[in-house]
Amino acid sequence: MLLLMAAFSWAGDVKHSSGDKQGEVSEIQAEKSLNDPGDNAWEEEGWEEEWEDSATIADPLEPLNRFFFHFNDKLYYWVLKPVARVYSGFFPEDLQIAIRNAFDNLRTPARAVSCLLQGRIRKSSEEVVRFALNSTVGIFGVGDFAKDVLGLYSSYEDLGQTFAFYGAGGGFYINWPFLGPSNFRDSLGMLGDAYLHPIILLDAEWGVIIGAWTFEKVNYTALTLGDYELFTETALDPYAAVKDAYQQYRNGLIENR
Amino acid sequence: MEMSKYFLQNKSALLLALVILSVLILNSGAFAAASMNPMEQLQQSVNEILKILQSEELKRPENNEERKQRILNVVNSMFDFRKMARSSLGQSWNTLTPEEKDTFVGLSTSLVEQRYIGKIDSYDNQKVVYKKERVKDGRAIIYTDIIDKDLEIPIDYRLMENQGKWLIYDLKIENVSLMANYRRDFDSIIRKEKFSGLVEKITELVEKPETSN
Repeated sequence: MLLLMAAFSWAGDVKHSSGDKQGEVSEIQAEKSLNDPGDNAWEEEGWEEEWEDSATIADPLEPLNRFFFHFNDKLYYWVLKPVARVYSGFFPEDLQIAIRNAFDNLRTPARAVSCLLQGRIRKSSEEVVRFALNSTVGIFGVGDFAKDVLGLYSSYEDLGQTFAFYGAGGGFYINWPFLGPSNFRDSLGMLGDAYLHPIILLDAEWGVIIGAWTFEKVNYTALTLGDYELFTETALDPYAAVKDAYQQYRNGLIENR
Repeated sequence: MEMSKYFLQNKSALLLALVILSVLILNSGAFAAASMNPMEQLQQSVNEILKILQSEELKRPENNEERKQRILNVVNSMFDFRKMARSSLGQSWNTLTPEEKDTFVGLSTSLVEQRYIGKIDSYDNQKVVYKKERVKDGRAIIYTDIIDKDLEIPIDYRLMENQGKWLIYDLKIENVSLMANYRRDFDSIIRKEKFSGLVEKITELVEKPETSN
């Protein structure tokens, strides 16, 4: 008993003496019965012992999906990765980042529309400002001026998430050739988002569209070399692992923003 | 006067001695970790790993083994691998014999280490931002961002307090929970090839020489 009391008084002392911010935060959280500002509302809700599994996703096309998974896997190792490696030799990382930003900037109109459809007026107008500034001051979007200077972050919204916002489930799993993992809902979303892409709005030829898409893909691969390998090589059934990762990733996006 | 006799006769002296003794014990290194909040502790471990990863000395090929071992030592002190092994198997865990459990803990440990270290390794010169921590009943969630190539990659950790030390038992990289992902992955194998097939597959994987990146 005495030992316990000594322990408590000692622990109390340490907590009070650690004047740094983190110490204070943990103290507030430990004694949440005290004044609990709205900022700590999460204390009561959304706390689970573990991160739960996502619901099992229907996969009626599994044999076909597995075939295309294998196809994309070979495409990665035999074509995309070697090309991205050579590409990296010519384009330094800073340039790759600039190119990624420029392509990402072209998706801003679609993001603005999705925000609007979800009734997030403020976020939507931020996307409009981002597009206007980054396309001009940021020179065709190579620099993320809006984020770096004004602190306006991308919303990461898309039409698939908008459908989910209105209650649509993911539907069955689809592993597209070239495009990779998706589901029924997000595939429809992808199609809708594509119509709001400037390259489609400007009615470019198919050759240009495919060329641009390939360029973006190679650039992206160059920036993420090793990620795909690490994930699939530490999985026992890479197909099942990628399928689950896709679902968790999308659910996270839908819940978080 | 003999010491024990003195204490028996003088109760207040005994109490005082006990208080001093307990304070001394609690103040010793073994309990120092308890005073750290989970975020400080995680920060310390991650910094330690980053220091090893960034050391030019250890990057030389002849130091490869030592580098790997030193990273492993830190990682081993950060995670609760037994809890993770149990969690990754879900229901199947209860059907195993104690020996099977021990084997499986060893195997899944190597697998998780490979994936986590590989991920951290690819961020070796990036900045880690510790955003927020939530603590409740001996459990904690810590939200971090790794700034990689001008993008924020969220990594969230789940920790549990165990004898005064906070141990990680799950982490989310870009919203993907490592344990939930391995549960699905393992389950896909167990359904077709039973537990023995799973053990065989993991053994094959962890004994394979370095991955190809």
